[in-house]
Amino acid sequence: MVQPEAVKEDVGLPFLDFFFQLRDEGLEIGLRDLLDFYQGLEKGLANDLNHLFLLGRLCFVRKVGNYDLYYRTFQRYFRGIHLPPVAEGDPRLLQTKAFAEWLSEAFARGELSQGDIWRLSRDELIRRFWETVKEQSEAHHGGNRWVGTGGSSSFGHSGFAQEGIRVNGPSRSRSALHVFGDRRYVDYDSSQGLTGENMRQVLGQLRHMKRTGLATMLDMQATIDKTARNGGEIELVLTPEQRDRLRLLVFFDNGGSSMLPFVAITQLLFSKIRSSFRDYSAYYFHNTLFKNVYSDAQRRAPVPLAKILQQPSDTRVFVVGDACMAPEELVSPYGAQAWEDSDPEPSRCWLERLKARFQHMVWLNPIPQDQWNRVHGSWTLREIASLVHMEVLSLGGIQRAVDYLSQPAG
Amino acid sequence: MEFHGSDRYYLDPQLKAIVNMAIAMEKPLLITGEPGTGKTQLAFEIARSLDLDLEILRAKSTIKGEEACYVQDTVLRLNDARFGSAETGRDVQNFFDYVIWGPIGRAFRAPLRRVLLLDEIDKTETDVQDNLLDVLEDKQFVIREVNQVIQAQIAPIILITSNAKRELSDPFLRRCFCHHIAFPTPEDMRHIVGLHFPEIKPQLLEAGLEIFYELRDAGYEKPPATSELLNWFEALMRSNQEVKGGKHLPFPGVLLKRANDLLEHHGLSKKPKPYASRY
Repeated sequence: MVQPEAVKEDVGLPFLDFFFQLRDEGLEIGLRDLLDFYQGLEKGLANDLNHLFLLGRLCFVRKVGNYDLYYRTFQRYFRGIHLPPVAEGDPRLLQTKAFAEWLSEAFARGELSQGDIWRLSRDELIRRFWETVKEQSEAHHGGNRWVGTGGSSSFGHSGFAQEGIRVNGPSRSRSALHVFGDRRYVDYDSSQGLTGENMRQVLGQLRHMKRTGLATMLDMQATIDKTARNGGEIELVLTPEQRDRLRLLVFFDNGGSSMLPFVAITQLLFSKIRSSFRDYSAYYFHNTLFKNVYSDAQRRAPVPLAKILQQPSDTRVFVVGDACMAPEELVSPYGAQAWEDSDPEPSRCWLERLKARFQHMVWLNPIPQDQWNRVHGSWTLREIASLVHMEVLSLGGIQRAVDYLSQPAG
Repeated sequence: MEFHGSDRYYLDPQLKAIVNMAIAMEKPLLITGEPGTGKTQLAFEIARSLDLDLEILRAKSTIKGEEACYVQDTVLRLNDARFGSAETGRDVQNFFDYVIWGPIGRAFRAPLRRVLLLDEIDKTETDVQDNLLDVLEDKQFVIREVNQVIQAQIAPIILITSNAKRELSDPFLRRCFCHHIAFPTPEDMRHIVGLHFPEIKPQLLEAGLEIFYELRDAGYEKPPATSELLNWFEALMRSNQEVKGGKHLPFPGVLLKRANDLLEHHGLSKKPKPYASRY
């Protein structure tokens, strides 16, 4: 990548290093977005810091999950305020760099003494931290980027912004538009830098086209054909529309520590399934399937598997799990490790029932395929693979799984 | 051309700035947010405020995108070919006599600028969304049957809404300006209710808002949104009811819509209690 500083000096575009900082934070910003942004500046859309903030967000941020990231980066770049990536009230604040920095600065300024640290409760420290942050955020001064502080401000670097950006003097909308001091979007922050565009494309190939519903679509070719045969007397031929009628069931193994290393990739898969399919149901289980699965990730709301088995048999099924467990979980009565799953029938029975009902069923396993014979729990993995078509949870594996699921029944 | 709110619609200054930027940049503006945050209403307000005509495409899952531009009335043409068009003025030889323009087609062909609303775009298939965006970006579409390009005379102001039930594809998002309307804060809500019910008593307003935000945080399947709140206030004012906390909430059915939520509110939950089976 081109060094941002070098580019800035050469071309003299304002805020170019801000753009590169956003990219470094993981926002996918393209040249086109940047050009939009400069066009907006040229049109004079950013006549104060609030509007600049909004223009930048419109040009650079597409997903609400990244709004807070943008907010933090903006505050850091333009105003020198370092915000922690957590919401107010989140105890994880104590582990953030911003909190540590604030603490040492408060020491240095003498606002806090060594004794205070012991005397004050944790909550009180946190409260004081947020107080400082709020004061900074709401104040419209300070910062080393916006109102020129000598050379460190990139504003004024070029003639580009002269018309569009006003630094001093009143602005008619400043009082009305509060974009700072209020982090409304921190709850949406997903902090997931993963991109899964190719996963989405692969999943997008999974279709199940069926002619369904009333015959309402005019079959032009057949109509002309029939009409001709009918001696020119019009004979309309109607046919039902072809629609995608794919139903999808997804079972996620979210129990057990053996799945922990794969949380990120499982989440990515889930989010892509959510965006690619309209008609899907997701359930959760621990290690393997028993009489109940759960409709929530906390596994508190049980759903009988017998009920799910009543869904149409052309439903496509994904099971996502490492398939590694103690052998008795799979084959012994009352073998479940989690006692709320306790079931007189071994899990194997349930898997067989599922397989008998849904021919289109694939087990996606996040363990790399070359380890399938070696991992702890490989016995159950192979048992399950002999029962259910198993693919590795990788792009290629998903592609093969989609191909497998797209085969006609039979 | 600058967009302002109206006396019936509380316009967040941020949202106003964003809409005006999108208009100035001629970018489609994608508005996401929970139901009841006034996404669709925004398009009506823009049209009213700027005194422009509004074209609406209400997306359905079956929509293919082309009919948003035009449809050809084949049956009518066949019928005319067989029985003659008589005094209708239609000419069977003329394809355009049998074209019915969709909202995009109308917006593009209009001599004056229009506001084009694509409502609940997330209901459509992904490839349909991409096709629509191609059309909107190039501001033209092709009539396949006669291979003729229809070019927009003047670019419409495009507003797209999504309930974000399904994520929209990245290429789609890249072509829009996107804004997520956060749920109104109690402060905003006071404005909104005030606009709808200028004569509301302050005690009722405060007590009602308190209950409303409490219910929203209570984890119901369908938490009440702005429109439920407004209906509820109307019901309260018409019946002259006082609001008291606790179980004696008047008209709970106006705020809570799902049967399960109502049962839960009355303490008759059907849902298995968390951990109930464990103890």
